[in-house]
Parts: sequence; structure tokens; C-alpha cells
Amino acid sequence: MSEPLRRRALTAVAASAAIALAGAAGLAPTPAQADPVTIADQNGATVTLDGPAERIATIPIPAASMVVAIDGGTDRLAGMHPLSKTALTEAILGEFFPASVDIPSDVVGQGFMPNVEALLALDPDLVLQWAHRGDDILAPLRNAGFTVAALRYGTEELTRGWIEMLGTATGNADKAAELIAWREQAQAEITGLMADLSAADRPRTVYFLRYLSELRVAGEGTYNDFYIDLAGGTNPAAADGSGWLTVNPEQVLAWDPEVILLNGFEDDLSPADVYANPLFADVTAIRDRRVYKVPLGGYRWDPPNQESPLMWRWLAMLLQPELADWPLRTQIVEAYGWIYGQTPTEAQIDGILRLAMNGDAAYYDRFAGDAGR
Amino acid sequence: MSLAGTLGRSAAGRREPAWRAPALWGGIAAFPLVVGLMSLGIGRYPVPIDQVLLALAAGSGFAVDVPGTVERVVLLIRLPRILEGLVIGGGLALAGAALQGVFRNPLVGPQIIGVSSGAAFGGALALLLGLGLAGLMAGAFVFGITALVIVFALSRVDGRSPVLMLVLAGVVTGAFFAALVSLVTFLADPNDTLPAIVYWLMGSFATASWPKVGLVAGVTAVAATVLMAMRFRINILSLGDEDAQALGIAVEPTRWAILVAATALVAGSVAVAGIIGWVGLVVPHIARMLVGPDHRRLLPAAALLGAGYMVLVDNVARTATASEIPLGVLTAIIGAPMFAWLLRRTQAGGWT
Repeated sequence: MSEPLRRRALTAVAASAAIALAGAAGLAPTPAQADPVTIADQNGATVTLDGPAERIATIPIPAASMVVAIDGGTDRLAGMHPLSKTALTEAILGEFFPASVDIPSDVVGQGFMPNVEALLALDPDLVLQWAHRGDDILAPLRNAGFTVAALRYGTEELTRGWIEMLGTATGNADKAAELIAWREQAQAEITGLMADLSAADRPRTVYFLRYLSELRVAGEGTYNDFYIDLAGGTNPAAADGSGWLTVNPEQVLAWDPEVILLNGFEDDLSPADVYANPLFADVTAIRDRRVYKVPLGGYRWDPPNQESPLMWRWLAMLLQPELADWPLRTQIVEAYGWIYGQTPTEAQIDGILRLAMNGDAAYYDRFAGDAGR
Repeated sequence: MSLAGTLGRSAAGRREPAWRAPALWGGIAAFPLVVGLMSLGIGRYPVPIDQVLLALAAGSGFAVDVPGTVERVVLLIRLPRILEGLVIGGGLALAGAALQGVFRNPLVGPQIIGVSSGAAFGGALALLLGLGLAGLMAGAFVFGITALVIVFALSRVDGRSPVLMLVLAGVVTGAFFAALVSLVTFLADPNDTLPAIVYWLMGSFATASWPKVGLVAGVTAVAATVLMAMRFRINILSLGDEDAQALGIAVEPTRWAILVAATALVAGSVAVAGIIGWVGLVVPHIARMLVGPDHRRLLPAAALLGAGYMVLVDNVARTATASEIPLGVLTAIIGAPMFAWLLRRTQAGGWT
């Protein structure tokens, strides 16, 4: 038996003994079971853990905040990607969980290549890695004896798969089911609201993944295309190609978007940049002041994430202000309560919704707090 | 052997009909003009040709009625982009022709001798540090010159740069700066600076604007004037250092003036449009086939042909599909086979 395996076995024995004792005393803190946990990863492999994962190292960037959401805290996060860490520490989760500053982020290098020695030092019982970026970044993990679960990314279905998998792996199956039910309910509700929309009633909505260095937009098959459609818009770029498209300003004029969504990745980018661009002065979205920077909550709301239902509602309220109306600020407070066990302040909600940047855009007054109304 | 005979083989070798030279030059001069005007009429946003002309009239100060969007498309998107293409294409071809003369070697282009890689590193570094357009320009120029100096020093043997030494020195220098570019991308923030650097490295006119056109046109005007003024000296330098010295030329200062001017042309284009390869290598050869090897005629011909060629290629990049095709990809796909063909064709009779 190799050293890590033996240590893991001993840990499992110790853990089951402790749980047995605690159970005998009627003090079981969690319904954690000592039985092995089996999950199917998104590469089709079956992954078996000795028990619920206590120390998880996450290499895919959005996985860290997903673990935090499913576990309601950062306790199980043993290590993560440096960009996961900046996403955590520089946003609201860092304020909720100040201890996240101390979680190591040296476990991965360029191109998601794991740093095996740094990982060994952390002794994780589960390592999450991308499934669709080749075996080169997975093999070193397997060879070092880690328990690896591979993840894919980009669709709602895969995201629900993450949640389910991580819920099972951490012994939080109920929480995972709750998160998935929340998504299903929100999706069904919004789909129902938009069911009778004719094509002409759907505003042409373009999502810019890049704006400052180049014009890069979401085409067909992207997650952004999915939620533009869901929230009652239509993505004109989808007719011109799939995936991410680099286009010239003329192409944007030809689409004449009625709503423009700006990514949350380019820190310096704000709607003011678009309003000030003389090339786009005649674009409907600029004339109608419907340019919005996508919010930043527990993770950026642009890609699939644990808070997607809030993103869909936010977008539906902007794309179909007549049809969609929710008390979004209250819903954020409720969701953060049961997801993270935290209550954001009014100022934090303003920050999440980027009121400073989006505040004077059309229809945005409905997101203002009581003070702002 | 007379100087004239050495310099103008085509003129000395065969008699040409009297109408031929004016017609040829008329064609060469009209090429960029016609391509440029034509290109104003094509793009992803449909604009009828009469509207294009009206927009141009409006831009020239005439009071004509033209929709605002059309005016913006023609005057703020297409016109600067086409002018940028004309200036950069002309500048790169001119730089290539001058470098080929100075190095006495037709294999030379800004890319082969590592100047492009050096300029790429300087530009990428400026993007990494967030230095803005002027910083990009300065970075591209300083490291372009550095690469040139390294290649020049490495390849000199007895006052000449033999083909083999030159190519090897270019490979070494290019590889070194390419590694530095990789280092910069490794250090860049994947969320914002990295995509900016990667996109810029592929070369594009998609972000063309009047300030950029102003910058590159200013640099190109100065550097091109220097090269044009020295085109007879390039002829003499291409005879070899000893002959040039005997003919009363201060070889080293002349050579350096030409190298600096050529690098300024490359750096200017790199700063506003990223790395665009092959134009400086291929176009001078086409020009040489048309007007012969005399640099007094070769340089203006290469500049005019390069200008039109660049805009033609960019038309494909910006209109073929909804998404932009990277320019560097297109110039290489067109340029490499064309160069191979030229190589076979012209090498058979020896380099002129």
C-alpha cells in the first residue's frame, strides 16, 4: 500500500471511529456516512471516495466558488486556481469568508497543468480537473495517486451535473438537489413568461466577451446565447456562427443590437466606454441606453455558475420589463441566505448589481435599493 | 562593366516598346487607388455605392443628406481602415525592398531577419505593462532595432552577409524573441491582458481609427521619405561595401540610416496593427519582376503594390465571414505559396 493510500485509509478508519463514537453519544454533527462515496465524472469515469471529500483541490476556475456554494463555506477548499482565488477574494465571497485569503493557489500552472508536488503537500482527498482539455493535464494527477474527478463546462446541463457531483462528493446531496431545483424552477418560470413572445418582440441582444482589445461576441451554442434566448431576447450573432466570434464594428452596426451586455472579465470596461464610442452612436442599444455590465456575485454571472437563476431573472427584467418583474434585491438576500448562510448588505447588493456603472441605464432604476428609489 | 549595366539589367538587356514603361507605371500607380476606392463600397454593413459617394462628399464638407449610420460606416470605419491598410502595406513592402537591397539578399524580410519578432516582443511588453499606443510604438521600435542589430552582427562575414549566415542569424534571433513573447504571454493576466496580446499578435486592422492612422502615417511619411531619398545609395550599397566605398559612399552611416528607417516602418505598422508577415518579403519580388532591380524604380513600385495588396487581403479578412479572419493568417497563407513560386521561378535564372 502506497504511503498516501495508507494515510487515506487510516484517516477513513479514524473518521469512521469518530463518527461511530459521536453517533453512540447522540452527537452526530452531520449525517455524514462512513461508507465509500461513488460519483460518475464528466469523462464517463467512476470515482470512488473513502467517504465525503473533506479536502478538495479545484483546478477549473469556476469550480472553487461552486464548492463554496454547495458546502456553504470554504472549509473543504484545500487549494485552487490562482484566478479562482482572485475571483473569490476580490468579490463578495471574500467578504463573507475572509479565511479564503489563506487557501493555497499554487497548485496549477499555465494551461491548467497541475503542480503535482504542491498538490501532494496539500494532501487533498479529491482533485477537480477539466475533462475537455486533453489527457495531458489529467495523467499527472492519476499517476501521483490522486482521486480525480473530471469536469466539462459550458451548458446548463453540465452545470447541473457539477452541482450533483459535488453535492454527492461532499455529502451535501440535499443542498445540491435544492440548488438544481432552484435552477429548474427559475428556468421553467421564465420560459413560461416568455412563451408567447413573437420573434419581433425579442430584443436583439449581443454579449461582448471582449470589447477593449477586440470585439468578441457570443455566437450560437454559447451559454450566453442560451440565457439571452431564455430571458426573452434573441442573439443576432447566433445566425452568423457558433462559439466566440471576433467581429468588426461594421458587423455590430449590421446587427444593430437593441441591448448590449458587457462581460465582467475586463475590469476596466464599463457601459460609458460604449456610450462614448462614436462608431456606435446610432446603434439602438446606445440610443436607448440599454448597455449593461453583467453583475458579479459569488462568481461572475456571465458563465454558468451557482447563482445563474439570479442572472436569468436580472436579464429577463431588462429584456422584457413588461413581462418580468421580481424583487431581485430581496431574492439575492434570500438566495445568499440559504446558499452561503450570509446576508449581504445594501451596499454589497449595489456592488453585485454594479449600480455605479449601470445605474443610469434604461430600466435599471428597478434594481435600485430603497435609498435609491 | 558599367554601373548602369549592373543596375538595370532589364533596361540594358532588351529593348522595350516606348509605350510600355508609362503604361506599366500608370497601372502600378492606379492599383492602390482603384483598390482603395473599390474597398470603400464593400463591407458587412450594406451601403449602396451612391451612398458611399454621398458620405465621402459629406465628409469633405459638402451639405448632402446622408443617413448618420452610413456616414459613420464610411468615414469612421471603412476609410480609416483602408487608409491604414494602404499605409502599412506600402510601408512594409518598402521596408522589405530596402532591407533586401542593404543585405544584398532577396531572402530578407522583416520576419525572416527577426525584426518582426523583436517588434512583437516590444509591443507585447508594452501591452503587458499597459503603456498605451505610444508605448507600443516605442517598444516595437526599440526591440525591432535590437533584433536587427543582433542579426546584422551575427551574420557579417568579411563585410558581407552570406545567405546561410543571414538565415541562421535570423532564425536564432527570431527564436529568441519568440521565446520572450511566450514569456510575456505567460506572465499576462488571462482575463484581460492575455487576450489583448494574443489578438494583437495575430495582426488585424479591425480596430483602425483616425488617431492610429495619423500615428502610422506620420511615422511612415518620415521613414519612407528617408528611404526614397536614399534609393540610389541603396543601389550602390548593393554592389558590396568595397565598391560602394570606392564610389565615394560613407558605407556604415548610410547603411544604418536605411536600417533605422526600415525598422521604423515595421515598428509603426506593428504598433497599430500587430504582426503582419510576408508582405515585406513577397511584394518586393513582384515589384522586381515588373520594374527590374534598380532601387530607384523598385522602391516606389514596391510601396504602391504593397499598399494595394494589403487592402485586397484585408477586404477578405473583414468581409468573407461575420467573424474577422486574422490578417497574419491570410498573408501567410497567400504569401508562403507565392514566395515558393517566386523562389522557383526567379532562382532558375539567378537572383537579379
